[in-house]
Amino acid sequence: MQILTANELLSGASVYFGDDRHWHQDIQRARIFSETEASELDGLIAAAVATKRLISVAAEKVRIDKGRVVAQRLRERIRAEGPTSPRHAVQPLRESDHVSL
Amino acid sequence: MYRYDEFDLGFVSGRVDQFRDQVRRRIAGELTEEQFRPLRLMNGLYLQLHAYMLRVCVPYGTMNAPQLRKLAHIARKYDRGYGHFTTRQNIQFNWPRLQDVPDILEELSEVEMHAIQTSGNCIRNVTTDQFAGAAADEIIDPRPVAEIIRQWSSLHPEFTFLPRKFKIAITGAPEDRAAVRFHDIGLMAQEDEAGEVGWSVYVGGGMGRTPMIGQRIRNFVPHEDLLAYLESVLRVYNRYGRRDNKYKARIKILVHEEGLATIREQVDSEFEKVRGGILTLPEEELSRIRAYFAPPQFVLSDDRFNLADLKRNDAGFARFVEYNSHPHRQAGYTSLTISLKPIGGVPGDATAEQMEVVADLAERFSFNELRVSHEQNLVLPHVAIRDVRAVYDVLKEYALAEANVGLITDMITCPGLDYCALANARSIPIAQDLARRFGTPERQAEIGPLKINISGCINACGHHHVGHIGVLGVEKKGTELYQLTLGGDASESAAIGDILGPGIVAEAVPDAVERLVQTYLGLRETKDETFIAAVKRVGAVPFREAYLAT
Ligand code: SF4
Repeated sequence: MQILTANELLSGASVYFGDDRHWHQDIQRARIFSETEASELDGLIAAAVATKRLISVAAEKVRIDKGRVVAQRLRERIRAEGPTSPRHAVQPLRESDHVSL
Repeated sequence: MYRYDEFDLGFVSGRVDQFRDQVRRRIAGELTEEQFRPLRLMNGLYLQLHAYMLRVCVPYGTMNAPQLRKLAHIARKYDRGYGHFTTRQNIQFNWPRLQDVPDILEELSEVEMHAIQTSGNCIRNVTTDQFAGAAADEIIDPRPVAEIIRQWSSLHPEFTFLPRKFKIAITGAPEDRAAVRFHDIGLMAQEDEAGEVGWSVYVGGGMGRTPMIGQRIRNFVPHEDLLAYLESVLRVYNRYGRRDNKYKARIKILVHEEGLATIREQVDSEFEKVRGGILTLPEEELSRIRAYFAPPQFVLSDDRFNLADLKRNDAGFARFVEYNSHPHRQAGYTSLTISLKPIGGVPGDATAEQMEVVADLAERFSFNELRVSHEQNLVLPHVAIRDVRAVYDVLKEYALAEANVGLITDMITCPGLDYCALANARSIPIAQDLARRFGTPERQAEIGPLKINISGCINACGHHHVGHIGVLGVEKKGTELYQLTLGGDASESAAIGDILGPGIVAEAVPDAVERLVQTYLGLRETKDETFIAAVKRVGAVPFREAYLAT
C-alpha cells in the first residue's frame, strides 16, 4: 500500500494526495494506492510536478493500523506529525497554499 | 567588529533584490523547482522535513547586540519564536515561509547580515575560536584574517562551483578551540624564528562518512602571502577534486588518494605563480581591517574570582564561574559562555526572548560584543569580573545560567530526524535523555570534562567523530539505532573516535554511556585525569568491554 506525498511550495509543509484530488495536510486523508493501482502513481507524480506548486513528490509505503494510515518509515511518521521532542505542530497551510490536481 | 563598506552594502542589498525576484518568478510558475533550487540554496534556503529552513551566516561567529536582537525579531515575526545555533557558528530558522524569505533577508541586511554561501559547493562561513580577541593564551586575534578570507571568498568567481563544499577554520591560540584539523583548510597562528606571526596550514581534514585529520602542508605562511597560498590550495582542489563521485569530492579524499607530498608540490607550484601578485596582502590593508577589531576600552582592574570563597557561600554561582568563565587576556575581565544546553532542552536552541536578553547583556556588560561557539553556545567575550554576578542573575531568570560548559551535558547535537531531510535517526531526544541521566551538578562535577557529540547521520554535522564519546544515528530495518564511538578529540591532539560495537536502541544509550563513565571513574589515576586523558592512557579495551556488557 502506498500514498503520494510532497512538500507544498509556499509553506514547505508536508501534504498528501487525497481521494478528492486535493493535497491535504492530514495523512489520514491520503488516498491509499493498492498494488494494482501503483501504475497510476507515475502519472500523478508527473502531474503534481507540473503544477510547479509541489516539491519532493514521492510515493511512500504505509500500513493501516487500527483503521489509521501509518507510514512505514519513521521519517515519514515524523514528517506527518511534526518534530517529536519537544512536540511541535506541523507547518500549517494557509488558504493560498492549497493545491489540487 | 567589521562594519560593511559601500561595496558590502551594495552587494548584500543587490542579492536581496535578486532573490526577491527569483522567489516571485518561482511562485508565478516562471521557474521550475529544478531551476529554483540552486538559487535558493545559494541564499541559504533549504527544504527540510516539515518546512523550509533558512541558515543565516554569523561570520566567524562574531555578532553585536543589534544583530542578535534582529535575529530575535526574525524568530518572532517570521518563525516560531526560536532559532538554532549550529556547529558552523551560524543560526538556522526552521519554519520560514517562502514569500517571507526576501523580507527576512532584507531585514538581515539592515544589520549587515545575510545567508549567502551558507549552502552549496563554495567556501562556507569561516569559523574560529569563540574567544578570539579575548583569550589569555592567544598569540594573535584571528578575526581580521578571517574577515579578509571572508571578503576574498565571497562570490569568488573561480570558487563558486567547487567539487564540494569547502570549510576553513582559523585559530590564533595554541589551544585549538576551533577544531582546525577537521576542516578542509585549518589555520593555526604560528611564530617564526624572528618572532613574526604567520600561519601554519593544515589541509584535508574533515568529518562525514570518511573522517580524516588534516595534515600540515606548510609550516609557516606570512600574512601577506596567505590569500595567495589559500588560492593555490583551492585551485589545486578545483582542478583535481573528484567531481565524478559526490562521496569522494572533498579535498580530504584528494589528499588521501594523491598523498600529501604530491598535493604540496602542486600547491607550491601554483603558489610560485601567484605569490607577489594581486593577492598579496599589504600591511596597510591588514592594519585597516585590524582597526575594526581593536580591543575595547577596558577599565583597569585587578579583580579576580575567589572561587574557594564563592564555593563556601554560593555554590550555584561558584559552579557558573568555574565552568562558564574563560581566562581573559585583560586583567579584571573574563569571557562568559552562555550555555544553550539546559537539562532536557534542545541543544543550541534559543528563544527570541533569550536572544534579546543576551543582546541586552552584551550591550550592558560586554562592549556590545557577542560570539557563537561551534559547540552551539553563546559567549559574552569581555565581561568585567565585578559584573559577572549581575550577568549571572539575569541569565538565571531566563533559564540561561546552566553551569555545564565542557561537561557531559554540554553536548553538540545536530537537528537529526526531528527536522533534517537527510537524517537516519533522531539526535535531540538522545541528548535530552543523556542530560537527564547525568544532569545533576554533583554528577557532572564528579565526571569532569567530557564531550559527547551526537549526529543523526553519517554527514556528522553533530561532530560525533570527535566526541570523547560520539553517538551516530543509523537506521536498520526501520529502527533507529545508535553507534557509539570512543576517544575522538577535536583539540590540538586531534583524534577520530573508534566504534565501540554494534548499534543499540535509543533506550539503551544512557545505560551504555553510564557504563563508559563508570569505567572511567574506576580507572582514572587522580580526579584531575580527564575522561579523554584516561582513554588515551589505557586505550579502548576496558571501555569496549564495558560497552559490550549488558
Ligand atoms: S548529521 Fe545528518 S541528520 Fe544531522 S543535521 Fe547533518 S545531515 Fe542532518
